[in-house]
Amino acid sequence: MPVIKDAVCSLCGSLCDDITVTVEDNKITKIENACILGHSKFVGMFEHDRIETPMIRKEGELVPVSYEEAIEAAANILVNSRRTLSYGWCSTSCEAISKAIQLAEETGSIIDSTANVCHGPSALAAQEKGAPSATLGEIKNRADVLIFWGCNPVHAHPRHMSRYSSFSKGFFTEKGRKGRKMVVIDVRKTDTAKLADTYVEIDQGSDLLLITALRSIVNGHADVVPETVAGVSKAEVMELAETLKNAKFVCVFFGMGVTQSRSKYKNGDGVSSLISDLNQHTKAVMIGMRGHYNVTGFGQVATWETGFPMAIDFARGYPYYNPGETGANDVLVREEADAAIIAAADAGAHFPQKAVRHLAKIPVIQIDPYANPTTEIADVIIPAAVVGIEAEGTAYRMDAISLRMKKLIDSKFKTDEEIAKDLIAKVRELKRGA
Amino acid sequence: MQVVKLSLKKANKIPIEADNVNPDNFAGKTKEEIEAILVWYGNGQCPLGDLFNVEVEGSDSVENTKIVIEGDVSRVKRIGQDMSAGEIEINGNVDMHCGSNMRGGKITINGDADSWLGCEMKGGEITLNGNAAYYVGSGYRGESCGMRGGKITVNGDVKDYLGEHMCGGEILVKGNAGLLPAISNNGGTITIEGSATMPASEMKSGTVIIKGETSDLLPSYKEDGTEEVDGITYRKFVGDVNAGGKGVLLIK
Amino acid sequence: MSEILIKNASVCDPAQGINCEAMDLCIRDGKIVESVSENAKVIDAGGRLAMAGGFDGHTHSAGKINVGRFINPNDARKNLVPGLSGQVARTEKTRAQVGYNTPNTYAIGYRYAKLGYTTICEAAIPLLAARHTHEEFKEIPILDKMGLSLFGSNWQVMEYIRDKEPEKLAAYIAWGLKASRGYGVKIVNPGGGEAWGWGKNVSGLYDPVPNFDVTPAEILMGLAEANERLQLPHSVHVHCNNLGKPGNYATTIETMKMFEKVKPSRDRQSLHVTHVQFNAYAGTSWRDFETGAPMVSDYVNGADHLTFDLGQVIFGPAVTMTADGPVEYANSRMLHEKWSNQDVELEDASGVVPLFYSPKSFVNAVQWAIGLELALLVKDPWKVMFTTDSPNGGSFVNYPEAFTYLMSAKKREQVISGFSQMALDRMVLPGIDRELDFYELAVMTRSTQSKIYSMPEKGNLKVGSDADIAIYDLIPGQVDPSAEHEKVKKAFSGTAYTLKDGEIVVKDGEIEATPKGRVYWVNAKVPETVDTAMQKDIDFKFKKYYTVSKSNYMVEDAYLTKPVEIDTEGVF
Repeated sequence: MPVIKDAVCSLCGSLCDDITVTVEDNKITKIENACILGHSKFVGMFEHDRIETPMIRKEGELVPVSYEEAIEAAANILVNSRRTLSYGWCSTSCEAISKAIQLAEETGSIIDSTANVCHGPSALAAQEKGAPSATLGEIKNRADVLIFWGCNPVHAHPRHMSRYSSFSKGFFTEKGRKGRKMVVIDVRKTDTAKLADTYVEIDQGSDLLLITALRSIVNGHADVVPETVAGVSKAEVMELAETLKNAKFVCVFFGMGVTQSRSKYKNGDGVSSLISDLNQHTKAVMIGMRGHYNVTGFGQVATWETGFPMAIDFARGYPYYNPGETGANDVLVREEADAAIIAAADAGAHFPQKAVRHLAKIPVIQIDPYANPTTEIADVIIPAAVVGIEAEGTAYRMDAISLRMKKLIDSKFKTDEEIAKDLIAKVRELKRGA
Repeated sequence: MQVVKLSLKKANKIPIEADNVNPDNFAGKTKEEIEAILVWYGNGQCPLGDLFNVEVEGSDSVENTKIVIEGDVSRVKRIGQDMSAGEIEINGNVDMHCGSNMRGGKITINGDADSWLGCEMKGGEITLNGNAAYYVGSGYRGESCGMRGGKITVNGDVKDYLGEHMCGGEILVKGNAGLLPAISNNGGTITIEGSATMPASEMKSGTVIIKGETSDLLPSYKEDGTEEVDGITYRKFVGDVNAGGKGVLLIK
Repeated sequence: MSEILIKNASVCDPAQGINCEAMDLCIRDGKIVESVSENAKVIDAGGRLAMAGGFDGHTHSAGKINVGRFINPNDARKNLVPGLSGQVARTEKTRAQVGYNTPNTYAIGYRYAKLGYTTICEAAIPLLAARHTHEEFKEIPILDKMGLSLFGSNWQVMEYIRDKEPEKLAAYIAWGLKASRGYGVKIVNPGGGEAWGWGKNVSGLYDPVPNFDVTPAEILMGLAEANERLQLPHSVHVHCNNLGKPGNYATTIETMKMFEKVKPSRDRQSLHVTHVQFNAYAGTSWRDFETGAPMVSDYVNGADHLTFDLGQVIFGPAVTMTADGPVEYANSRMLHEKWSNQDVELEDASGVVPLFYSPKSFVNAVQWAIGLELALLVKDPWKVMFTTDSPNGGSFVNYPEAFTYLMSAKKREQVISGFSQMALDRMVLPGIDRELDFYELAVMTRSTQSKIYSMPEKGNLKVGSDADIAIYDLIPGQVDPSAEHEKVKKAFSGTAYTLKDGEIVVKDGEIEATPKGRVYWVNAKVPETVDTAMQKDIDFKFKKYYTVSKSNYMVEDAYLTKPVEIDTEGVF
């Protein structure tokens, strides 16, 4: 019975690559090293609501069809559209993303990733100030002060703290957790906060005030900081600033609590500036806690192929980028899109109601291994193999290190990459016919 | 004098990109010539005449050309982009990027404007008799210099990020501003007659006056006495200290 | 079998000593041959200049450049060199293009090809992130590609040097090249990357690296020894300590001198020093900053063991990107610019900062002059590789402009006339009247590259070489590059023809075809016993310190398009 070592877990942005998988009769029977979330993805995939066959909605009902019919129906939607939104492409491989981008280019579509509803503001922040970062091993081997800001790895990235951060032991950090100071900044005492040495509770939406206060203190202007900032006493902020300045190596891990709170990308922008300021005194870096296992990969591939990490509008044949105008939710809320591809993501469950209402009105092509709320409003449904289990391919960890995901078992389903290629071929054929 | 009147033949959801709709491009052209100008509509191009009713009176230079747009054009982007002279009057709501990179002339909007009004504007004047959305007079993604010259007057409210990265020129908002007005600016003057939240973050230079209520003043400004402007006394703040800034923030 | 006959070309091929001679070129199945049959497709060159395809020996075009793209979306719409920059819609033949300093991958391929370039060498591959570099290589059309792997602040390297284990060190380098599918050994600010792990830097060749008890000088000598032991096709490729600092010319010359004692294992240099413009600064601060090019050139003129490239500055926006982490942080603080940083565990650092070179800034003006002074004061063009360290000194799309600086004193005077007196006082360029001819330009843009990378099939038009050919729309003898520099610039900005492996990829400045290029990498053989002993050490590193598994570290074959494995035999 084959045992596959060093498999990459395709669940969260930690992308643990030390998973041992036992396969019997083309079924995964044993998983070692994975966390509970990863484990449930590896073994739970059979219990999920798999889409068993391609389907087309006819007179309101989903009717099973062949892959060929579904691809043709989807391609027909695309060639007749003036403004298609292609959304998702994060729980899939870089190879599939590359083909999805080419499809968007050839059909003059908009393509956007799930960053639109999570770490998109981190990209905007980097475009203001850059992204002073490091690979996770730098944290493991060097960091003595860690801040988790607006993120909760205990639940979202269960092995993060043992593999890369709080509890990990490395070359200069032999003592592991004992040698590290762990700070959590959040609006409520999360399970991660319970593990921290210091928990700083801030008022909802006041991140930028605290970041700015920290910067002012670090830069020698403590006098401009009032007695209370963001619901935190000046003394506490001063103490935190001292902790940071006196560290050997600081890492700020930030999550959606930072990127999606009131000041959005200006928070990430501020953290980036704080990191730069701290480097006048010590060594400091920042890393975004990315959720979907390959949302970082979408940003990477899109950036080298189009110049931009997300929200790319190919209407004029060349890439145009302007989140706020060309993001998935922007064009849905404004009811601009006249067709949509939702792939390897669930817009139906995660978008605001107004966006979902518009999706329900237009032709929607879903590409996904699993049925989900998007399926309910989709007109063409193309089932896909599960990447990282039934298909190989590349994914990027939250620190932009790429790893090759293995194929562990065979599948009757086409991969996302094959589906995107088929769509490109069919679109070309239909255009030539026209 | 040349006057060109445009009105949409029917309402649209997919935006029309009217970066060709400006006096520079219309001056001296006949009705037929203007109707033949191509504009982007979704992922294809259409002659302007397919989408708009076009009327032309007279023929004249750019300076003496006025474009009047009647009715709601809240899905027509980039009207007046790059214009150097002449005049545009919009009697209705207008979509994004109106007057973007404008160099001269005058735009009057009798309605609301969507985001990026007068972005990276270098000269001329925009008067908005309505409310504006985000990024009035700002820079585009990744740019370090937004509006550099000219004047924008908003006789209503604006949403967030007013005048981001502004390097010059003047913005007057008679109503309220949203979050983070005058962020990262490096020159120019912004006056907000209503309220504002977290103003002038990382301002390097320039002047920001807020006559209404200021919420969440960022802890990066040094108070420096008072200053009187037009007979009104303000508390004077200097900063942003974290940007090594010499900007002046005047609040009540 | 496909055959092409290029008739009546004015061939400039320094590798054969041919200087703009009227000749025919015969091509069969992608190679230059003696003769072709009557069925050959005929291209009438009409007396126009033909050279081997250009070869950019040091460019940042895959990997780190993505950080540059990411933080500068505003670069996408910059169109400062029309035809070679800005937003270009897709066509039936080409993918959509954007950018100027940091173009997307497709634009990189098309634009180099339009300039008549057919091979590029990516200047920095972090081992751990090598897969990313190769993913971008896959999407760069037309060009042949290779890359240099970073070893200069690597823990295993420093430990082997400290512990005096030269054999294991060589085995590690061989393994690292294989893991990253690299072509050669790149050393950036030796030891500085590790110091930057603590927010510090090393101050010179003899300043010990914190916690590792080795000096930059020892790292350089150790890696040079390993490089020659493995008989690698390229010498070590060195970005010196103290880059970008006034007074650094002394460190540069000291580094060069150190290599006098290194015996090359092949018929090539024992040291390549890169983007020397950034390392040829005199003075003690930015206030008394001045050119150090005369001192560096003097040394180079008297030495025969080294080659270098320019890192020429182009006025306007640029994006600096380097494994020299501390330099980028310093840049960002000095210039109040965006700053990206990416330290790589156990291996190296890196940073990206955009900047603007202004002719009105006396520092920038002197930097601009230094690159040209180096090119013109060093007598032997075979020691010089033309680069802008794209996009550090400026985007490669400006090469045609830069060629006119080298070929026309008049053109230089035009630029210099806009400089301040202070700038003029700090440079020697105004006193230099040398003008390169097409032959010398071909040496610096093709022939030197072929020689220093030991790629005999590249950068020349010998029988048996790859049929990578550029035909430029100018007739030597009928154009005076000194006076008619605009004509030269125009001709070099879009070839009449670019052929890649005998296929027409550019015609009249437009892309005709977009075949996939090759990827070259070096597989150096090491005795099994040495390799086994070395593997034990790195197994420990992976177990204790890396955050990826060793088996997932190696770049898989799936990432290489048309790979060419260059085998060498290590001497143990």
